[in-house]
Parts: sequence; C-alpha cells; structure tokens
Amino acid sequence: MDHVSVRMTVNGVLVERQVPARTSLADFVRDELGLTGTHLGCEHGVCGACAVLVDGSSVRSCLMLAAQASGAEVTTVEGLPHSGRTARLRDAMSRHHGLQCGFCTSGFLITATELLTDADAVEAPDEGTVREVLSGNVCRCTGYQGIVRAVLEVAGGGATAPSGGEPAARGGGPGAAATAGQQR
Amino acid sequence: MSGSDTSWLGQSLPRHEDQRLLTGRGRFLADTARGCVHACFVRSTQAHARVRSVKTGSAAALPGVLAVLTAEDLGLDGAHLPMLHEPHPGFAEVTRFAMSDPRLPILASVRVHYVGQPIAVVVAESRHVAEDAAELVEVEYETLPPVLDPTAALAPDAPTLHAHLPTNEAARIEVGFGDVDEARRAAAVTVSDTLRIGRHGAVPLECRGVVARVDDRRDRVEVWTSTQIPHLVQQALCRVTGWARDEVRVAVPDVGGGFGTKANVYAEEVVVPVAARKLGRDIAWVEDRQEYLMSAAQGRDQVHHATLAVDANGRVLSWEDDFVVDVGASSLWTAGIIANTAIHLMGPYRVPAMRVTGRAAYTNKTIVAQYRGAGRPEACFALERCLDAAARRLGMSPEEIRRVNLLTADDLPYPRPIPYRDGVPISYDGRDYRACFDSCLEMLPRTVCDELRENYPEHDLGYGVATYMEATGRGPYETGRVRLLPSGRFEVATGAASAGQGHETTFAQVAADALRVSPDRIRVGNGDTDPVTYGVGTFASRSAVLAGSAVHLAATRLADRACGYAAMLLDTDAAGVVLGAGGFRADDGRVVDWTDLAAAFGPGGRLEGQPSLDELAQFRPQTVTWTMGVHAVVVGVHRDTGLTSVLRYAVAHEGGAEINPRIVEGQVIGGVAQGIGGALLEEFRYSPEGQPTSTTFADYLLPGMCEVPQIAVKHLYVPTAGNPIGVRGAGESGAIAAYAAIAAAVDDAVGGGDWRVTSVPIAPEQVRAAIARRSAAVAS
Repeated sequence: MDHVSVRMTVNGVLVERQVPARTSLADFVRDELGLTGTHLGCEHGVCGACAVLVDGSSVRSCLMLAAQASGAEVTTVEGLPHSGRTARLRDAMSRHHGLQCGFCTSGFLITATELLTDADAVEAPDEGTVREVLSGNVCRCTGYQGIVRAVLEVAGGGATAPSGGEPAARGGGPGAAATAGQQR
Repeated sequence: MSGSDTSWLGQSLPRHEDQRLLTGRGRFLADTARGCVHACFVRSTQAHARVRSVKTGSAAALPGVLAVLTAEDLGLDGAHLPMLHEPHPGFAEVTRFAMSDPRLPILASVRVHYVGQPIAVVVAESRHVAEDAAELVEVEYETLPPVLDPTAALAPDAPTLHAHLPTNEAARIEVGFGDVDEARRAAAVTVSDTLRIGRHGAVPLECRGVVARVDDRRDRVEVWTSTQIPHLVQQALCRVTGWARDEVRVAVPDVGGGFGTKANVYAEEVVVPVAARKLGRDIAWVEDRQEYLMSAAQGRDQVHHATLAVDANGRVLSWEDDFVVDVGASSLWTAGIIANTAIHLMGPYRVPAMRVTGRAAYTNKTIVAQYRGAGRPEACFALERCLDAAARRLGMSPEEIRRVNLLTADDLPYPRPIPYRDGVPISYDGRDYRACFDSCLEMLPRTVCDELRENYPEHDLGYGVATYMEATGRGPYETGRVRLLPSGRFEVATGAASAGQGHETTFAQVAADALRVSPDRIRVGNGDTDPVTYGVGTFASRSAVLAGSAVHLAATRLADRACGYAAMLLDTDAAGVVLGAGGFRADDGRVVDWTDLAAAFGPGGRLEGQPSLDELAQFRPQTVTWTMGVHAVVVGVHRDTGLTSVLRYAVAHEGGAEINPRIVEGQVIGGVAQGIGGALLEEFRYSPEGQPTSTTFADYLLPGMCEVPQIAVKHLYVPTAGNPIGVRGAGESGAIAAYAAIAAAVDDAVGGGDWRVTSVPIAPEQVRAAIARRSAAVAS
C-alpha cells in the first residue's frame, strides 16, 4: 500500500503522519489522531455526521482524503471554541433538546458554526435559511425541531414557524422546501 | 438547584448526556475499537441459493489477514439464534397462535436466504485489509428462484424456504369477538380495501457494531455492542455457545439510535466474540451503511384486507381484517409483530364485533425485527383508512365519524373480551379519548387548510386526522439497582439500555425523587450485564414504565434502609427519623446527611461491616398500560410533481405522569418524523431477483430538515395506577398514526374521484395520475 505524507493543523496543533494514500480525512482524525467526535454515519457524503471545518468551510470528511487536506487548517468538533457563539449554541442545543442519541450532533455543530460565523451570511437568518443551510445534515431522533430553535436563538433570528393552527408566513417555510428535498 | 422538597419528577431538566455529546466526547462503539483487529463479514450476494463451496485460500493469504472463518471453523455449524419472544400460553390459546422457528444459521454454509446474509468472517490487522480480503473469498452458488411476495410465499405450491419447515408460514393468529356476520347485516355502509404498508425500518444514524475483548485474567470475554438489549444478547450468546453467563459480559457504549433494529440479537454479536476467543485477539466489527441497509433488521411490510361495516350514523358495527406480514428470511420477533398488529386493530373506538386473522410469511428478503410501533402503525393504517372510506360513503366528515365512535369518560376503563399478549384481559385504562381528539383538533383544526391555501399557490392542500392506541410497558419485568457510593453520591443501573432516550437524566430524576437529593448526585450507567445480572431491555415503550419503576422501588427501599442506619448514627429510634431534602432528621432536630452515612461505612466508622446500601429491585407490572393519541396534519400536494409536503402537524396524547416532559415531547416528535419518512419517503426496495436496491442514502431517503415541520404536542396528564410512578410509555406513539393521518390529508388534497391512498410510502406518480384524472374530469 502506497503511503503518503500529510501535514496539517488540526484543532490548532500541527500534525504530520505517513498514512496509506487511501486514508480518508475522517479515518485520519479518528484513527490517527484519536479525535472520535467526528462520526461516520454513511461514508458516502449524505448524512453529514462527519462534517469538519477545513480552512473554515464545512466538508464531509468521509469524502475527502487526508492527503487532500494536507496544508490545511482542520477543525473538528473537539476544536470548536468553548466561548462565544459556539458555546451558546451548545447550551441552546441542550436546552431545546436538539439532540437525543447525539451521533449526528458533531456534524450539526460544525455546519451551524459555519453558518453562525460566516461573514457573508445574513445577519439574522430566518427559519427557512437555517433549515436550508442545515439540510445536508440528517438527524434520525429529534425531528429537527430543537436544532432549528437552538440555531435560530443563537443567530438572533426570528421565531420558528408555527406547528399547530397558527397562520404561516407567506411562502418559504418547511413545506415549500420539502418539495425540493423529496426529489433527492 | 440543591435538594429540595419539590418533586424531581415532571421537571424538564437538561440532559446529563448532552455535555459530552456536544463536545465530541461521546463514546460510541466505533470509538472504543482502539487496539483491536478488525472483522469484515463475507455476505451472500444471492437472495436464494445453495452454497456449493466457500474458498478462503486467497483471502487468507493476503498480508495482514489473521483468519478467514466459516461456521465450521468457529464451531457454529448448524447453530442458530433463539427466538426472542413467545406470547403467554393463555394468549396463544385464545388466539390460536402458532409460530415456527426458522433456525436461520448464524453463518450460512448450505443455503442462503437473503442478500447480505453472513457466510464467513475475515479478521485482519485493519478494516481496509479485512474488506480487501472479504472480496477475495470465493463463494460458489447454485441459484434458486427467490420468493419475494409474502402472499405467494404462503401459496400451497410455493417452494419452502426453510428445509425443516413444511410451509413458509412464520406465524398465524386469530383474534375476534362478537358476531361479525350478524352485525354486518345491519350495516348502512360496508367498505372493503387492501392496504399496504411498505418495507422500511429504523435506520439509526449509527450502524451496528461489536467489540469483543478477551479477558484472560477473568476467563471471560467482554462484548461491547451497539444494542438496546444487552441481557438478551448475553442470553442468546450463552445459549448458542454453551458459555456460562459469567464467561460473558455484555455492555453498551453510547448508542447512536436504535428504534427497534438494535432491540434484536444478531449473528454478528455471536461471531465476533466467538472469533475473539478462538484467536485470542480483541476484535472490532463496525458496520458500514451499505452493509446496514442490506443486512440489518428491517420492518413493517404488511398487507391488510380489511372490511368495516357501519350504521347510518357512522357507528362501527363490525370490523374484519386479514393481514400478512413479510418477515423476510427470518425474524426473532415474529410473535410480537403479528400479535401487536392483531391487538391494536381495535383502536380507541367502540368496536362490538371483530374478526382478525393474520399470518406472517418467510420470503427471500432481509430479516425483520420490531421497528418503532411494531405492528401498531400498520393496524392503525388499516382501521383509520377504512373509517375515512366509510365516512366518505356516508357523507360524514372524518372528524365526525371518529367522534361518534371514540370512547369517552363514560366508557372508560374499557374492558375488551380478549387477553393481551401477557395473558391478562385487555382493559383500556384511559380517561376520555374523545376529549383527547377534540384537544388535537383545537390545536390544528381543518380550517387551517383554508388559511394556508393562498401561501401555497402551486399546491393542493389537504387535512387529515388519525387516532391510535398503544399498549406500553410490557413485562415481564425490569431490574433497577441503586447504590450509595463512598462519596455520598449514587450509582444507578438498569437492564434498559439507552439508545438516545436520555436514561441518564430520567432515571436520575426518579432516583433523586425517592432519595431526596439533587439528580446531579446520581450517575446512571448504560446497559451492562455486570452491575445488573438479569434484565430485559429497551423496546416496546417500556423503559420509563418498567426500568423507571424498578429504579423507584430500589431507591425507595434504599432510603428506608438508610433511615435505619441514620438512626444508629443519631442514637435514636428508626421510627423517629425522617428523610428530607436536608438529610435524615431525628425528632429532636439533629441531622445526618447521605455523605455522613456513606463515610460511616469506612474503616473505623460507626457502620463499618454493616451490609452496604445497595438495593436491587425488580418491577413486574400486572399488565400493560395504554397510551392513546391523535394526530392532525395539513399537507400540500404539488400539482405538477405529485410530491407531498407536510405543512402543519399536531399531536395530542393521553400520556401518564411524565418524568421529564421535554424528553417525552422529544420522543413523540421524533416518532412523527419517522412516521413522515415511512409515509412519504422510505422504502427498502428489491429487484425481481431479490437484490436490495435501497443500499445508499441516495436510494433510501430519510426525512431531512426540510421534510419535517415543527410539530405541536399536547400532553394530557392521565397517570396510571399500574406502576408506582404513574407513567405510560411514549417511545413509539409518535410514529403510529402518522401514516394514516398523512394518507387522509393527501386524499383530502387530491379530492374526489375513486383514487385513495391505500399504500405507503405514497407514490408521487400515483398522486400525479390522480390529479391528472381529476383535471380531466373537471375539463369534460
């Protein structure tokens, strides 16, 4: 098996390893670095559980080779800050019961952190935006309600759409987006 | 919050689990595999075939491969897993229940019965090498025609799939009461329909996995497995291998979702520890997604032929159903699924006469286990679809026909002339099901459709409602253990493993309530056969009811005994000692607390040598307790694509006392999300050759952020006297009525014509065709 040399900064620490060329970034952080907070839910780029930040952008670490990330700055869930918006997001996720089994949670935190820290993003995203941005992450336990509420709270956005009989805002909302989603 | 005199039950405390899960410090199965060699299974590529030979030579020769093992190599030739459930003999007799044991081999060597069935296992230095080697194992097959339709499988001339069985019938059941034929004669309207619930399943985000570590010091093997039922895994493993219980510890790490697929015992859970002991190596098997979607237990897959007779006012006169369950190549839970289906067909209504026959069939599809609801969603779909059909024929609204038939406070408790699966006569122990119905309609009335219409110009909007019953908290028992630690804190263990349900939080609340301490002084371990020798597990909406009650009993007994010890420390009479939030108080006002008590057991302490404060309790419920609920939904059907979007959703349910209301609500909402998936998206499909074609997440569609709307939940507090903490189960309830409610809403949206939803997942092409026919009819 051909080995390659990879050198990258992971959670602020410079690491250098010789790994088989086929090693994915996910296997690299999990098996080589012992950072097991990055979870593998499908290994074909759909579920989003393995999301990490590479140079500030979220990527699916199951679809990227470790060699491709050579030279990059990688942040896994373990390296997300313990203050500021990410800390508030963790707190809000817990209060809104945005997690049950917690397997998908790391991926959601990574993707939501990207949304919350994106300088180009709208100041206070509405529910439709939050849902669209996070639609690449799958949660099988919660029905997403608590996750959406938590992200909206931290983003300083509006309240969530009604669930029962309250009238909806015009257009957008979960229903409109659902049509697109179902066509996957 | 410190200990106070308010109850810890009923409080939505934040979950103890969250801190580690939100910082990437959860420990799921794959995270515990360090230092292990890796297993990869060689699986059948044929749905039905004789195995002529298995050649392992080239695989074994690959550098890094430690062993390639077949059933014979492992001493498992002919070994099979035991069935996991048999109904009570009293129930079996009344329902003429019969079942067969498919005895599916743990590793196939003679014949294969589904694609994905394990044939051999490769153990190698790395997962990569193990996979490479598995591809080098040559299995020579003699292809046999696959049987993929359950009704065809039950035909007299069908080829039998399991050589030792005379037919493909996995089980049969008959449930009935009243004179159906006589009742039907008085009917104003009789509706008959064939209703299908497709094959889909739990699909937790974490796949399965097993780590077996050989402990030579203690002459035992430690099996870490991503399961909901560690004790049943231990039992099955011991039964198959002949190992004594104390040679096997089964323990559960953090589990990334279960929903029933992990309330099963799997061949892999036997093979990995047997191989580990044989090779003397610690072995990890971590399933990948494609493997899961081919070979882990699936669910549902039922066909119902139903007939409902009602009088001119819509009152149910008789209800008949003949159903078939496709359990694939094997199910260790056939009895539970077929019995659940039959019993839950009664719904929360006055049904004076019923005749139900059910059969389960073997086919060449993947094995089946209980999936959230386990027969209840299927039963609900059959009954609710027929109620909608009858209402339509009578010109009544779906709401009206339900209000006419729903049980009210005058009817409840409502005994039924048949026993539950535990042999105890059924009696619905609710308060007022019609009131619950009205409460749901208040949250989400039909008029919301009209209010929303202008927001969705490309959609036809429809409204649907459905009700369900759920027997929860099935016995026979569960174990709880509460132990005072030297620090004055406590450790709790139960047989109910958590797969995300928040047991660390809820069981701590239950114990804290009895011990009069803050829950943060209590740690709850996950399922483990070491601290708790006998247990059953987490499934069938039973953990809060059974394990919760067992923890309550153990903690209460511990507190009682502790009062005696406190009296010794206070040099007073136990009768004069009262346990409160501040500790144990003598009638003269002197106090010792749990920390004092714990310290007194130490060397030289006043309680040195006394039996420790460590209580084990079993809770055995007399029978199940019933949860009833109502779902209402507004959907939008896109006119061009036929795709259905769920726009509004509301659930009202008659639950019991709640340990942690937010966790209960989360269970209900999560269940609805899975129901939406089953109604609109999810299906395990098979080619005519029996090849599974839903083996990626591009083919097996899970509901995402944009498919699940906010869901409103109203909890009607109706505690039960059936257990000491008054709780009813709610784990499955969210999933049950979603299928029927969404189907009704799609009907309502598409409106008129002969077409109705009779099959889920709802096929957009069928909806589109119905819309086209409607447009054509309007035009002509």
